[in-house]
Amino acid sequence: MTAVDKVSVDIVKHLEKLTLIRFTEEEREKIEKEVRKVMELFNEIMKVEGLDNIEPLYHVVEIELPLRDDEVLDKIDENHEFLKDNAILEKDYVKAPKTVGA
Amino acid sequence: MSSDLNLKTIIGLEIHVQLTKLKTKLFCATSADYRGGKPNTHVCPVCLGLPGTLPVVNRKAIEYAIAVAKALNCEISDKIMFVRKHYFYPDLPKNYQISQYIGPGFESIAKNGYVKISVDGKSKIVRIRRINVEEDPGRIVYIGSIEKSPYSLIDYNRSGVALLEIVTEPDIESPKEARAFLEKLMAILEYLGVTDPGLEGAFRVDANISFEGFGRVEVKNIGSIKDVEKALNYEIIRQKRIILQGGKIERETRHWDADKGITISLRSKEFEEDYRYFPDPDLPPLKISKEFIEKIISSLPELPDERIRRFLKQYGLDEYRATVLVLNKWLADFFEEAAKIYGNYKKLADLLITDFLRWINEYNIDYRKLKVKPEHVVKILKLWDDGVLSVKMVKEILPHVVRDGIDVEEYIKVHGYIRIVDKNYIQEVVAEVFDENPKAVQDAIENPKAINYLIGLVMKKTGGKADPQITREIVLEMLNKKRDTGS
Amino acid sequence: MKLGKPVNIPVYKLVHEFRSDPSKVFEYIDSVYEVIKKVEDKIKSFITITPIETVYNYVDNLIKSNKHRIDRLKLFGVPIAIKDNISTKGIRTTCASKMLENYVPPYNATVIEKIMNEGGVIIGKTNMDEFAMGSTTETSAFYPTKNPWDLTKVPGGSSGGSATAIASGEAPLALGSDTGGSIRNPASFCGVYGLKPTYGLVSRYGLIAYASSMDQIGPMARNVTDLAMLLNVIAGYDPRDSTSVPIKQGVDYVDELYKLYYKEPKLRIGIIKEFFDGSEEPVRKAALKAVDVLCSHHKCSDISLPFPRQIIASYYIIAMAEASSNLARFDGVRYGIKINLDNKSWDEAFAEVRTRGFGYEVKKRIAVGAYILSAGYRDMYYIRALKFRRLLKEKFDQIFKSFDVVVSPTMPILPPKLGEFFEDPIRIYLADVNTVVANLIGSPAISIPIDFYNGLPIGLQAIAKQFSEPILLYIAKQLEDRTGFKDIIASV
Repeated sequence: MTAVDKVSVDIVKHLEKLTLIRFTEEEREKIEKEVRKVMELFNEIMKVEGLDNIEPLYHVVEIELPLRDDEVLDKIDENHEFLKDNAILEKDYVKAPKTVGA
Repeated sequence: MSSDLNLKTIIGLEIHVQLTKLKTKLFCATSADYRGGKPNTHVCPVCLGLPGTLPVVNRKAIEYAIAVAKALNCEISDKIMFVRKHYFYPDLPKNYQISQYIGPGFESIAKNGYVKISVDGKSKIVRIRRINVEEDPGRIVYIGSIEKSPYSLIDYNRSGVALLEIVTEPDIESPKEARAFLEKLMAILEYLGVTDPGLEGAFRVDANISFEGFGRVEVKNIGSIKDVEKALNYEIIRQKRIILQGGKIERETRHWDADKGITISLRSKEFEEDYRYFPDPDLPPLKISKEFIEKIISSLPELPDERIRRFLKQYGLDEYRATVLVLNKWLADFFEEAAKIYGNYKKLADLLITDFLRWINEYNIDYRKLKVKPEHVVKILKLWDDGVLSVKMVKEILPHVVRDGIDVEEYIKVHGYIRIVDKNYIQEVVAEVFDENPKAVQDAIENPKAINYLIGLVMKKTGGKADPQITREIVLEMLNKKRDTGS
Repeated sequence: MKLGKPVNIPVYKLVHEFRSDPSKVFEYIDSVYEVIKKVEDKIKSFITITPIETVYNYVDNLIKSNKHRIDRLKLFGVPIAIKDNISTKGIRTTCASKMLENYVPPYNATVIEKIMNEGGVIIGKTNMDEFAMGSTTETSAFYPTKNPWDLTKVPGGSSGGSATAIASGEAPLALGSDTGGSIRNPASFCGVYGLKPTYGLVSRYGLIAYASSMDQIGPMARNVTDLAMLLNVIAGYDPRDSTSVPIKQGVDYVDELYKLYYKEPKLRIGIIKEFFDGSEEPVRKAALKAVDVLCSHHKCSDISLPFPRQIIASYYIIAMAEASSNLARFDGVRYGIKINLDNKSWDEAFAEVRTRGFGYEVKKRIAVGAYILSAGYRDMYYIRALKFRRLLKEKFDQIFKSFDVVVSPTMPILPPKLGEFFEDPIRIYLADVNTVVANLIGSPAISIPIDFYNGLPIGLQAIAKQFSEPILLYIAKQLEDRTGFKDIIASV
């Protein structure tokens, strides 16, 4: 069973949980339709034969991973230059939602 | 049916250990030495996961991982490959963790290793399933109580610090074995010089535990070896009780509350975790050459097993003593320093692994800040050998030496710890004891085992200061005289 | 001497003028800002425009602090428009998303550092499809950008604002980014030159990722020499980008271009038959005319590239999978829109931020991307797409043994009307087939303006093997001589 046949409002709801994105009821119907169409397009690659014995191409320019020396180059960010304009700071900490009990 | 369940316990461990000896984080050139620092100062755009930033791998982290893999007898992959592991959580800046994974087309840096452990004199093998190199998330704190605080606070100083994730096969059969395994593992990592296990938060364990044929429970985020043993013991009792009552063990994740000494069920997940692993497109794979691995292996330091073997040979110690010393690296170092100036290795080892270690633990002394030096301990041993100190005195003096690193001779003078070796004086005391205890003397003449009672009386009279060897000789001598004279 | 009609002057000439008299930089900036004042309301190229006073001060400092090096600064005093997904320290970088409406990066992308080091002047951040997901600049959360040649038509995308800024005279140079055609598509629709470099030639550090394995930053300009000049500045190894290729230090693309241009070597040009056949008639005709021009000097023959729908499928599988991962980080904690967090659990709070912050197309791509990476489907779709990617790469390795360049229309269609594409989302994906090939195989590709049809520009695309940018510049320059597409500005 391909992913196309499985596309349903329930799958859309599952994807909402997986991606932490919420759709409205109306959006869900639209997205279900469009996801199905996209998946139909994606199923086109099933038609290509002889892919089984081919290695997937992860990196198109086949270079080696460069490695870095273990030397400190970055300064200590004493005044929170990297956070102060975009995060909410409280006593040097970044404010975030709670992890339990809500 | 017997109330005592005779079920096999199955334990597997997942250990996260920081490579604390690295200067920088795994994917950025930011200082990893964050302990004691102000929150959110050991950060850069990369470890904060700012949009547009990219990871660059720390070479030394790879070298350390390979060294660990070798020390844990693993097959080392010929390719380094990083994947993204996706899950949302407030401490994870990118909401994916750069890690490694084994699967078709995916490889961890190492797999299929083993560690030899020894429990109650029996040795056994715990297999290592795999080792991953990965990044640590940030740290979540609450001001006030977790429950009441309306939000959480994040410190990203820890974010991006290099971790090894070491996963065992479920070969461990008791909490005691788990402890023995972890002690051995941490010793190996310490000998390799890749981590300092004493540092707060450098080491976290997730433990899987089940009874054969029953559901598996994962206890997450245990912070010390002692707590792993406690948490597993707690789980064994908890699960046994449920089984005895005819209940079912739910497959679940539990949290270890170290303060209360209990495990607590975490809110069950709405759906099965789906980490959506895929190779990180920001990090091409790296082929590891044989030469690269050889170079690392050739510069490996002496590891615990080798050192134990050397201790057996060089100092004539038995396996138990050698193991206890070696697994406490600093103690083994201390032993070897002392052994340079003291030849009775067994006596030295005994003192170190019993009373000496006990007092170190009792006083909660950080071994990195020891005041006591090997020569202090050797001095005690020599005075003991010379008969100046009795066992009892040694036991009395040792805690002070351990704690303050004082000079034993000074201490003896000040506190009057002089041992009585004067034969004439001891003879007088023995005569007194004989006079006062004719019945005991008669018993001792008939039954040699009873002489200890007389010796004890002599010691009592001298406040424990009479030399036990000399006392014994004199008691025997006087008993012989009495027997000969038949009086 | 006053600069004549300054906005038309090519950058390579401007830099000479500026070096001999730095005060002309101010004059030129005035003329550029005058154009912006005149046309920006109609076109909406920009999301953020640097205030002119800020630019004056910047140029003042630039002149003062580089007194003795002005002659060496490759872009001295040249205003440049930057696509709004390239991080600029202190300048808001939104990705045309509500999510980042107020995000001010605390660091510069490597390409921005390079441009500033060469004396370039950033005059604004250009509109785009949200997170570069789109081909029309209509998915921008703020407003669509309009084609300066016909305000009822889209400018293409996703780097639509960069293309329109150049085409309308609001800037002489711009940076775009190209994941599946996002530089070439708007370059074609707006009648300018746009180059997607070889994957790994230009650092991605600071480019807010859409699909990491295909994203590349590239130059856009009104003539080929300017295009090569900007490429000179941004290309090169960057230790901050592990996919950056550590080769070809110090290649001068202007030199390379002119070496070939004067030597006029005969190239073997492959004509991708399917891509011509699949194009609208006016596009096909114009492209064939340009091919005739090329074939009068070079050796041309048809080549066949099967599997067009599979090419599109594999491209979108890879792009959406990577996008779903890259866009996970937007949770509102360290950056992004702020909501009241009190007493909300983290998953509730994150979902609120992401639902409010992302537009529909972005949400859809994230959802589909997560779907095809999830257990059971990863191998069926994602890994299979990567296998197809290798097949395609190997096919082109073969092609490039017999051909130096392959050509096709950049876009199979003329610029559509605003709103038209939304009616059929699959149709919009299929229109990318000619451009996505280069991203899948990591090759450089250029869009060359060749003609107009009913007042709308048409572009020809050329693709070469990896690191063959000079060859693409060379044939672009040959066509430039013949078509007259040189320093042309749309009158809005």
